[in-house]
Amino acid sequence: MSAVDGATHREIQEFLYHEAMLADESRYPEWLELVTDDIHYWVPAGDGDYEPGSRVSFLNDNRTRLATRITQLMSGRRYSQVPKSPMRRIISNIQVLAVHPDGDGDGGSADEYEVGSNFVLYEHAVQATNDMRIWVGRTTHRLRRTDEGLRIARKKIELVNSTSALPNMAFII
Amino acid sequence: MELATESSTVGTGRDYTHLVQDYRVHGSLYSDPAVFADEMKRIFTDGWVFVGHESEIPDAGDWVARRLGAENVLMARTHDGEISVVANRCAHRGTTLCPQTEGNSRNFRCPYHAWTYDLDGTLLGAPFPKGFQNGKPDVRLDQPGQVDVYRGFVFANQSGAAGPLSEHLGPGGSDLIDRAADMSPTGRLQLNGGWLGQRADSNWKMWPESDNDGYHIIFAHESLAASLLAGSQYEDVILGGEGETSSVARDYGGGHVELDFRASYATELAWLGAPRSKVNAYCDDLEAAYGDDKAKQIMWDGPPHAFVFPNLFLGEMNIARIDPLAPGLTEHFHTPLLVESSDPGINRRVILQSEAAMGPASFFLPEDVVIAERMHRAFDTNPTDQHAWVDLRRGIEREQHSDGQRWSDITDETTSRGFWHHYRHVMSRIGEAAAASPNGSPGNGQG
Ligand code: FES
Ligand SMILES: [Fe+2]
Repeated sequence: MSAVDGATHREIQEFLYHEAMLADESRYPEWLELVTDDIHYWVPAGDGDYEPGSRVSFLNDNRTRLATRITQLMSGRRYSQVPKSPMRRIISNIQVLAVHPDGDGDGGSADEYEVGSNFVLYEHAVQATNDMRIWVGRTTHRLRRTDEGLRIARKKIELVNSTSALPNMAFII
Repeated sequence: MELATESSTVGTGRDYTHLVQDYRVHGSLYSDPAVFADEMKRIFTDGWVFVGHESEIPDAGDWVARRLGAENVLMARTHDGEISVVANRCAHRGTTLCPQTEGNSRNFRCPYHAWTYDLDGTLLGAPFPKGFQNGKPDVRLDQPGQVDVYRGFVFANQSGAAGPLSEHLGPGGSDLIDRAADMSPTGRLQLNGGWLGQRADSNWKMWPESDNDGYHIIFAHESLAASLLAGSQYEDVILGGEGETSSVARDYGGGHVELDFRASYATELAWLGAPRSKVNAYCDDLEAAYGDDKAKQIMWDGPPHAFVFPNLFLGEMNIARIDPLAPGLTEHFHTPLLVESSDPGINRRVILQSEAAMGPASFFLPEDVVIAERMHRAFDTNPTDQHAWVDLRRGIEREQHSDGQRWSDITDETTSRGFWHHYRHVMSRIGEAAAASPNGSPGNGQG
């Protein structure tokens, strides 16, 4: 039972597919346009049941750090992504978990949607090993409705194997 | 450098005095399974190895799972408050006792036939005692021959014949650990920020090399030059130009090496990237604990960037351990260097720095990993290949030495040579340690 009507659900689904395509194709500037200025982009270690910043995370970016990340990737000398990994991810099990309507004081004055989804991401690690790597996890997006359309205010990715030692993850997860 | 004088081969017949020369090492040392087997014996069984930190297991029953050479072990806090290190392998038929990475248990109970062990590895009981003479088999969990703690850092030696830990660390290794621990106003680190793992499909020795290579920073990490490195502790290396840098590459002997950035810091707390006003209470704590002079020194110097042989990396705001799993597979785990201070801001900053520097999505480590993986593929070779040499001669003519230390410009390969020099010494040794551990297996109920 979704928290939104069919048209909104479809709009959210299309947005997630679009984001996934930009990430798969390492189209960094276009991907960065999809996030808000107060973005929090987080890949916790373990089950993610802690306050970000209180323990060490794989990734715990605000907008400034995320912009640095993109600048580094675009320098052409981020060797862990030279050449860029060809990737494709399958997004599924999309659920709108909650709606925070306009003016409720939670995240400004715009409608926000809490969206859960699963992903399977295939990465061809062409930089050294030529392995086909498989990344699997659960994403929780907080999407905000803005004048430009939906934008990502929060993205939390819980990898199923986040207690293991992971190979390089320098692409946009 | 002095040459190893002992017989130059061990069990598998590799000649380490040939494969490790003063200015070059042979590529097969990274990929040869026979070399890896010798390392597991000579370095990780016969020598001291870093296991963990006592702050990870503060309460009775706390335990963490670790790798100790070729063995999986548990580091636990016993009911008496002691630190124990035991094999994570049931003494009955070998079942892994704890598959998780950490936990708290009253005892270790095997899921297969319910043999139950105390936290120190003593067998408490086995079901249906009539089937055993004396009601209980006379076994215990394997344990290392020696376990010792220095400033909270727990080390173990499987063979029990490595001599005292203080000799392994020497003045150089002890001083490096002191400098890391002294970052905490109480002198006690709190390594409870979690460990993150990075997998590399390359040999473990590329970590002591790349973690302590001052030559590559400007190049391999060039993608950060514009955005992050300016104003950081690496600025001197990046912008100083050859011969104008004040940082130093140091070899303390015993395989312990440092990229010593201290002289290059232009302000106090430069290593933290924040002025005193942001961590005032922390600085006050340091002054109250150590007095003004030593506190000032700590605030200027910051934590070391150093490697303690064979698997401990003191990586400034991180502590890292290196687990060799196979010739071409290594795991590098790090945890933020958290301190005991009334200032919550200091540990927040340390965690942020840790996330920036280390781990598979960080700004630094992924480049080191991909380069190690490329090197590894270049040296998937055999010991007779006449072309597969790694050249480490940079700065060999200009390095200085005194009191058992060597040092040179930060971009010189003094640190790599320091690691390999000790490696050659350990790997070409034969005799006494092997005799003390007849079947090369750990513990056997000693100690
Ligand atoms: S294998 Fe552990 S009790 Fe039998
Ligand atoms: Fe590096």
